[in-house]
Amino acid sequence: MASLLRSLILLLIVQSFLFAIAFGSNEVEEFSEALLLKPLPDRKVLAHFHFENRAPPSNSHGRHHHLFPKAISQLVQKFRVKEMELSFTQGRWNHEHWGGFDPLSSMNAKPVGVELWAVFDVPQSQVDTSWKNLTHALSGLFCASINFLESSTSYAAPTWGFGPNSDKLRYGSLPREAVCTENLTPWLKLLPCRDKDGISALMNRPSVYRGFYHSQRLHLSTVESGQEGLASGIVLEQTLTVVLQPETTSVESNMQPSWSISSLFGRKVVGRCVLAKSSNVYLQLEGLLGHELKNVDTEIEAHELWKNAEFELSLKPERVLRESSSFLFIFDIDKSSDSEPFDLGLTWKLPSKWSCQQAPLHASRFLMGSGNERGAIAILLKATESQEKLSGRDLTNGHCTIKANIFQIFPWYIKVYYHSLQIFVDQQQTTDSEVLKKINVSPSTDKVSSGMMEMMLELPCEVKSVAISIEYDKGFLHIDEYPPDANQGFDIPSALISFPNHHASLDFQEELSKSPLLSSFKEKSLVRSYTEVLLVPLTTPDFSMPYNVITITCTIFALYFGSLLNVLRRRIGEEERFLKSQGKKTGGRLKQLLSRITAKIRGRPNEEQSSSESPAAQSSVLSSKLIFKIILVAGAAAAWQYFSTDK
Amino acid sequence: MKILLILGLLLCYSFVSSSGDTTIHTNNWAVLVCTSRFWFNYRHMANTLSLYRTVKRLGIPDERIILMLADDMACNARNEYPAQVFNNENHKLNLYGDNVEVDYRGYEVTVENFLRVLTGRHENAVPRSKRLLSDEGSHILLYMTGHGGDEFLKFQDAEELQSHDLADAVKQMKEKRRFKELMIMVDTCQAATLFNQLQSPGVLAIGSSLKGENSYSHHLDSDIGVSVVDRFTYYTLAFFERLNIYDNASLNSLFRSYDPRLLMSTAYYRTDLYQPHLVELWRPFILIQLTKPSQVKSPIVRAIPRCHSINFPSTMQTSQMMS
Repeated sequence: MASLLRSLILLLIVQSFLFAIAFGSNEVEEFSEALLLKPLPDRKVLAHFHFENRAPPSNSHGRHHHLFPKAISQLVQKFRVKEMELSFTQGRWNHEHWGGFDPLSSMNAKPVGVELWAVFDVPQSQVDTSWKNLTHALSGLFCASINFLESSTSYAAPTWGFGPNSDKLRYGSLPREAVCTENLTPWLKLLPCRDKDGISALMNRPSVYRGFYHSQRLHLSTVESGQEGLASGIVLEQTLTVVLQPETTSVESNMQPSWSISSLFGRKVVGRCVLAKSSNVYLQLEGLLGHELKNVDTEIEAHELWKNAEFELSLKPERVLRESSSFLFIFDIDKSSDSEPFDLGLTWKLPSKWSCQQAPLHASRFLMGSGNERGAIAILLKATESQEKLSGRDLTNGHCTIKANIFQIFPWYIKVYYHSLQIFVDQQQTTDSEVLKKINVSPSTDKVSSGMMEMMLELPCEVKSVAISIEYDKGFLHIDEYPPDANQGFDIPSALISFPNHHASLDFQEELSKSPLLSSFKEKSLVRSYTEVLLVPLTTPDFSMPYNVITITCTIFALYFGSLLNVLRRRIGEEERFLKSQGKKTGGRLKQLLSRITAKIRGRPNEEQSSSESPAAQSSVLSSKLIFKIILVAGAAAAWQYFSTDK
Repeated sequence: MKILLILGLLLCYSFVSSSGDTTIHTNNWAVLVCTSRFWFNYRHMANTLSLYRTVKRLGIPDERIILMLADDMACNARNEYPAQVFNNENHKLNLYGDNVEVDYRGYEVTVENFLRVLTGRHENAVPRSKRLLSDEGSHILLYMTGHGGDEFLKFQDAEELQSHDLADAVKQMKEKRRFKELMIMVDTCQAATLFNQLQSPGVLAIGSSLKGENSYSHHLDSDIGVSVVDRFTYYTLAFFERLNIYDNASLNSLFRSYDPRLLMSTAYYRTDLYQPHLVELWRPFILIQLTKPSQVKSPIVRAIPRCHSINFPSTMQTSQMMS
């Protein structure tokens, strides 16, 4: 009895010990979801969905997942990916109105189409093969033509101009790739709750794709476990950023439109994803000038801020956080359900205006020149109003400078002349060494690799505008290399302008572990902006030319030979003569029979007479006609010769 | 001795040949191809997506459907209804839905990729979702729509698939035992000519028009601005919409439902390669019970001669576009 009791207690202790090991602090997969809503100054609303999934380091064999998507972990294991980002974007991020200096725009303002970059953990000689296999696997996973990035003409190996500084980094971009529901479907299938529950159930496809800008991004990074025998942990971050315009019923044009989640998406939040560790909805308001509450209690703040003279929220926030000029209202959706759906709304009462902080310089890119032989690409960097605010930060050798990195890829058929690079600061041409501190150029090889250029500029803080221009020649493509809609033009992928000395972060003084969205905002992210994609018309052949040439040539040949044959073989009046002879025969048949019978009785004098007459008469007619025909044909041939040789 | 040897060989031969007949039906696959790009070919996309929706509704999962769309219509800048594709002007049915998976899209829809999918000859790196992983017990539906002509089908305005290319691919598939039964359905102008070179057994072919005939669109949607569906596919869908996963419809009833007056072309089907003594059930796609060949040739479908010049009383909209 006592031994039984003892063994039972021992068993319980052992079990609890095992439980403690199994549910240790870092051994569990975590998933969290968040939605950030932010009204934008130009009457639009930004909705940012953020999903983060963490897989802890574990044994590489027998790796079981219950929240983390197996497809991604297999991808990481098979291709030894250290860090990867894949984004699908349509629309242009409007830097003037939507901001360029906050972590959201730095991380989520992506170039149009598909952008993929990856850092591998394989020997240098195998990086290209891994990249190729990765692009194929991703194209199957996300229903996109990412496999077009496999060929060496579409990707580049940036060194310091891009971001992660590694020689095992590969970067590729497909500006013309369409983004639609078929890309979102597999992306949502990576989430534990798919699109059935929680915040992801809000994603009404027509609403998302009606937006002015939509970008879905997948970023994965591995966390070294530091221990032998353990595969590294993976952090998967999926975000969807949509800029929508709410329908306005108000007549006044200077009032911001009121909106709610149901008016934006047509649906309401009916519960959180039960597998999520944290599930929150945030509303961020920037630049509210009317409220300068500095040292006020959180409770009074919460009470006063969400309902005031300027605007009103439809639901009471759980908490309010503050960071310099922006306020963050946190809402809890734990209690929402089918019967009590969560529908946050914002109603404006007074016309308000504010502006989002921009990057120090606003970048835009355009083409110069005309014609199908050559042209030039120009990048224009213009000072923005936030330049003065930021200028005080950099001091190099006593002078205030702004550092800007420019990274560009050129397809091989845009043959850039790197020596023709010219930089104009405040509309005055500068010698390169004044502002250009570092440059790395990888020239393109026809049909083999694309060209890449990385530049680092050091500009004075008071600069008003900088223009960088470079000339190029247009190349010729083989007839097989033209896409089916070749007359639309060819794309030069976006250039990336980043400011290495400027980092954007939003620190709401919130504990790190609570919300991955806020902790990602807290991290200092490099301020970057992508320029426009350039559409270059190249010389295209007339694709119907072979068909047209064959048709015309065959028609001429047919006419020539046809008429020649007619002239040679057709006898004029042949039919009438035949009919006449037939007529003769038919008319005199009875008579002929009679004559035959009588001839048989008498002898055979009659028959040969009628037939012998015609050939003699015919031969003379024939000979004159023949001569006439010969002369005609000879004349035609001579005329043809004359006209064909005469130019 | 010799007689015994001969008898033994005959037995073995009959065994081998009959074992081919007794492969059981394992799974169903669908390969749906839209070969046209540009906005004015919206209806070809809608055709393919309608078939996709029908096939999914009647039980074939996404993993066994290869969908090839040559252009993006749903999120096209010209589309007033983003992420929505309709095949009817009443806009009741959104064909794009929430869960659509397109395997080959845009510039990837080429004759080479199409033939690679059929024959299974891919590069090593091509992922599983882009491969036709059928086996010898598979029933495959191959649906193609676009612009076509006498013994060819146009891919993206840049290249053509010819009837002997298709016949060769099907022959390779039969050699490699990649299907048990293959049903090819083509909705283009002069679709029947695409089957002229087919010789492999176990193939059933349905075309929307005969040689010299055009296949027309059904109606124009004035909201979207282009024709939204082709006649042949419209009536095929009308037939399938009446079915659910448990129905017992036959291929015969599908053929009988085509009315040449409404189609404005003669629907053609070829069953000579399809062994009539096999009473095959094509579950869960549709249950087909093919009766004897004499009963299959329905008088309505066969007897009406090919006429270009007959003026059909058009109760529909007047603008008809040719496929």
